[in-house]
Amino acid sequence: MSELSMESRIGEAAAFIAEKTGDSPEIGLILGSGLGALAEAMNDVRVLRYADIPHFPVSTVEGHAGELLIGTIGGRRSVLMKGRFHLYEGYASSTVAFPVRVMKRLGVRTLLVTNAAGGVNPSFCPGDLMLIRDHLNLMGRNPLIGPNEAAFGVRFPDMSEPYAAKLRDVARAVAEEQGLAQQEGVYAGMLGPSYETPAEIRMLRALGADAVGMSTVPEVIAARHAGIEVLGISCITNMAAGILDQPLSHQEVVETAERVKGSFLHFVSALIPRL
Amino acid sequence: MELTYLDRIKQAADYIRGRIGERKPAVGLVLGSGLGDLAEEIENAVAIDFADVPHFPVSTVEGHAGRFVVGTLEGKQVIVMQGRFHYYEGYSMRQVVMPVYVMRRLGAASLIVTNAAGGMNRAFRPGDLMLICDHINLTGDHPLIGPNEPELGPRFPDMSEAYSKSYRELAHRLSSQIRGDDGDSLELQEGVYCGISGPSYMTPAELTMLARIGGDAVGMSTVAEVIAARHCGMSVLGISCITDMAIGDELEPLTHEQVVEVANRTKPKFTALVRSFVREAEF
Repeated sequence: MSELSMESRIGEAAAFIAEKTGDSPEIGLILGSGLGALAEAMNDVRVLRYADIPHFPVSTVEGHAGELLIGTIGGRRSVLMKGRFHLYEGYASSTVAFPVRVMKRLGVRTLLVTNAAGGVNPSFCPGDLMLIRDHLNLMGRNPLIGPNEAAFGVRFPDMSEPYAAKLRDVARAVAEEQGLAQQEGVYAGMLGPSYETPAEIRMLRALGADAVGMSTVPEVIAARHAGIEVLGISCITNMAAGILDQPLSHQEVVETAERVKGSFLHFVSALIPRL
Repeated sequence: MELTYLDRIKQAADYIRGRIGERKPAVGLVLGSGLGDLAEEIENAVAIDFADVPHFPVSTVEGHAGRFVVGTLEGKQVIVMQGRFHYYEGYSMRQVVMPVYVMRRLGAASLIVTNAAGGMNRAFRPGDLMLICDHINLTGDHPLIGPNEPELGPRFPDMSEAYSKSYRELAHRLSSQIRGDDGDSLELQEGVYCGISGPSYMTPAELTMLARIGGDAVGMSTVAEVIAARHCGMSVLGISCITDMAIGDELEPLTHEQVVEVANRTKPKFTALVRSFVREAEF
């Protein structure tokens, strides 16, 4: 059996999803720690397990749902990834990009990506939302390495506006209407999975980062390559190493995400119809 | 069925346990370039070649013997790595750090890690020793990528104090009493170690960049080992021997032989510092 090309695998996965759901979503949602509950705000939902979709990567982490939800949020046809792929889990960055490309094939034109991030900018506080203005790819990986998938985009994609200015304007307006304090800044994508050292955080600050995390960047590169517009929002779940005199823990990340979940969900739900 | 990483660590530790009898190491030492001779000073020693340990790769770099020596140093039970696995040799990060987990499994709750490094801080001189207060991982890789083994440590380990503050304070106190064969007292610097993959040395432009982002020394080891040590809850002391100056706009050609020469010259003070730390620290 000859190996299928990336394009064929993506095509088969998308065709399967379209056939099972009879829908063509226009908005893609990849949600970080704590925001999975947005799935409950979805109407007319059809659920596909990653494992049932041809060629779709499968989460190796126990307890991760690994489901693709297709339905409507605020009247907009959406596809939501419940369960995300991280480089630190051992996936290739092309694997992390795969679902984004499937979304493109399904008709997605706008991607909303959220994450939990550490605050590098000392004026941030845990619980703040940060509109991602730009990113630094410090992962040492790029999802587009290898032969270019010309069916999706160009060999050398432009990154001068990875996060669409007009979508950021919309997000700012929604936040204002809701009286939500919102920061804006640069997200540094690190490989992880250890949290950064204080010296690494000082480096990131010198390089111009405001927040740091272990996701988002490969997804956004793949989306921009495919011509999908992106809105990115970080939930600052903790202050990065060396800012406060205390160790970092995943528990703190989870607790903060849980604490702000309500307002974050409220915000995102109001945002989606206006994208 | 294929063995997991954890299985392989356990089998390696079991093999060593079978060879070391009643010895129960409390502290692990990783000896970098030039410091390997300290392994000859271990009393009641058992030496185990890395090549004999199940699932261990074989060290290839010149000047590195590649074995564990288990025994007593300054009255403390130690396990010493004479030689280490470097990422630039082509080993995976998991292979590089496997001995750390094995030492932890054998009972070592502390790790003393040493290396030869280039000095980027203008206040340093070749032959200085630098306590590592923190590191920057610039290897482009990470030893914990892949499924986490919860029995080894947490998925997202904290690195806010990778190098124990109390160990650093003790090392500073001890250093003031150390004099070399030349009668000069030990100059103990402190700084941030940048871990790069190598094996090429850095270009002047790269060194300028590393200095700008906060690095004081640069080398091709240590960072992955320390991440693994912190992952499995070990307390770490890190010491770099500054074997050459690595300042971007003053860079001169460098050979491995020069590095070894300075490392050898610094050895008496370095050995004295490590020995006094092993003697005075509580493990």
